[in-house]
Amino acid sequence: MRDKREHRCLLAYILLALGVLGLFILNVCIGSVGIPLSEIAGALTGREGDGTSVRILWDIRLPRAAAGFLLGGALSLSGYLLQTFFNNPIAGPFVLGISSGAKMAVALVMVFFMRWQILSGREVRVTSAFMILAAFLGAMLSMGFVLLMSRKVSHMSMLVVSGVMIGYICSAVTELVVTFASDAQIVNLHNWSRGSFSGMTWENVQVMAVVSVPAFAAVFLLSKPLSAYRLGEIYARNMGVNLKFLRVCLVMLSSILSACVVAFAGPISFVGIATPHLVRKLSGTAQPLKMIPACFLGGSVFCLFSDLLARTLLAPTELSISTVTAIFGAPVVLWIMSERRKGRAA
Amino acid sequence: MEYYFQTRQLIVGYQGKPLVKHIEIGLSKGEIMTLVGPNGAGKSTLLKSIAGQLRLLGGAVFLDGKNTGQMSGRELSQKMAVVFTEKMQTELMTCEDVVATGRYPYTGYFGILSKKDRALVGEAMELVHVSGIRHQDFTEVSDGQRQRVMLARAIAQEPEVIVMDEPVSFLDIRHKLEFLSVLLALREKKGLTVIMSLHELELAKIVSDKILCLKGEYVEGYGPPEEIFRGDFIKRLFGLSEENFQGNEKLLGYLGRVGRGE
Repeated sequence: MRDKREHRCLLAYILLALGVLGLFILNVCIGSVGIPLSEIAGALTGREGDGTSVRILWDIRLPRAAAGFLLGGALSLSGYLLQTFFNNPIAGPFVLGISSGAKMAVALVMVFFMRWQILSGREVRVTSAFMILAAFLGAMLSMGFVLLMSRKVSHMSMLVVSGVMIGYICSAVTELVVTFASDAQIVNLHNWSRGSFSGMTWENVQVMAVVSVPAFAAVFLLSKPLSAYRLGEIYARNMGVNLKFLRVCLVMLSSILSACVVAFAGPISFVGIATPHLVRKLSGTAQPLKMIPACFLGGSVFCLFSDLLARTLLAPTELSISTVTAIFGAPVVLWIMSERRKGRAA
Repeated sequence: MEYYFQTRQLIVGYQGKPLVKHIEIGLSKGEIMTLVGPNGAGKSTLLKSIAGQLRLLGGAVFLDGKNTGQMSGRELSQKMAVVFTEKMQTELMTCEDVVATGRYPYTGYFGILSKKDRALVGEAMELVHVSGIRHQDFTEVSDGQRQRVMLARAIAQEPEVIVMDEPVSFLDIRHKLEFLSVLLALREKKGLTVIMSLHELELAKIVSDKILCLKGEYVEGYGPPEEIFRGDFIKRLFGLSEENFQGNEKLLGYLGRVGRGE
């Protein structure tokens, strides 16, 4: 019995790893500019071939795929933490308004700094790190509201409703800001606010790696207290878990992870909610120690797959990433809810 | 006299508001103490306070001469286990997985079970007769089985004291008796000290060494069941008038006859 479960889990890991690898390669090989495979191999190994394809591969496709890998993992992990924290299967950074809070803060910073730049005539570069910080503060703001609401409403769906409302408020503020932005900024903001992996640079990838990899490690190190937390507060405390510390860690880490995603790719829906469930079904385990790395890989697979479709379906026009993630993610959420209903009736 | 488990001038309550004051409990090792009293009398509050779940508003709890407030979380968790009704996220966990969580205070940083841990989990499940459902999904077992699994979980924690809040409330009469008989057997085998609340006065009378009656601000009575159940003490505890009490007895008698199919 135990062997069987472990085999299944191992198989899930192999599948996820192959999925990441395969989709990564596909993402690098396929694009609106056709580059023959032989040239790709050459360009990647020895930087041979003509300059354009080398640049397309190294400066556009590779950093974009790397970003999909890291941000997808970060999103999924953030969703997993929120679901565990609120004991709510449909929690996620997007539905709880955390992504929207981060988006609002980033939009404010972008517009404010650009205006200031125009007025003062001074060149100001908004660095990636600064954007992450703004996104983090915005995420924490939304998280604060959600936490306040969670004290007032105990019902699972009410919590999600309040999260969605917070999301609407933040989006309204973002729209307001965008209205007052100049035309050039709007184009920029508009693309980003719909969610997209386009235009990633190696510098971006570096910063997101610096943020998301340690955050992942921290989550992984928390897997034992997380497993106790799943049994509820009383049992967790009885097992000697420092609940206050664990809660602060969960809130901070889930906010950092979703802020990192929003700062670079804008808000992306449904990856955070759907992936943990899909991964759990695939691996047949809910044990945090095994779930956390699998969740990260699962999110990567989801995002790399969605980005591939977003780029290629209507090429050269790019779809926003959320268009694709919603089509695949929303049915999963519906399925989760109907499953739960069944479980309760039985 | 120095008791194995003792509270001194204990004051318990929520959010700084005292609910029950001056609680003095003394139990020898291996004794079973039951809390009885009407709803809202503070039974759960007292149990949570004893188990270190709520901050004490005054006084102290001593276990084997040591103040539990000064123990680390891990130290306390190795001495005291709980069975409470909680909202748990147990999807994809088998009953064995749930019992294994009891090993938490003993496992290493990542919580990986050793051979010894697994053996103890198996033994705990054997003791409460749930070995047969070891591989079943925890969410799919019956209420009676679930409570026994939670008891096995508590035993796997190798505690000296188990604190339980109404462990048999949702069970039918057969499972109530089954659960309590397992408890008595455990006391024999492991010398466990048990502190729990029960609504079933008849059962409390049979299984307990000591009974603590809670009502209002102070402890109404504390002592062996023979003492507590003498006279009309219980009637007063639950605020039943003579008529009411008689009526209840009639009702109980009637229900009993219906139950026997007469």
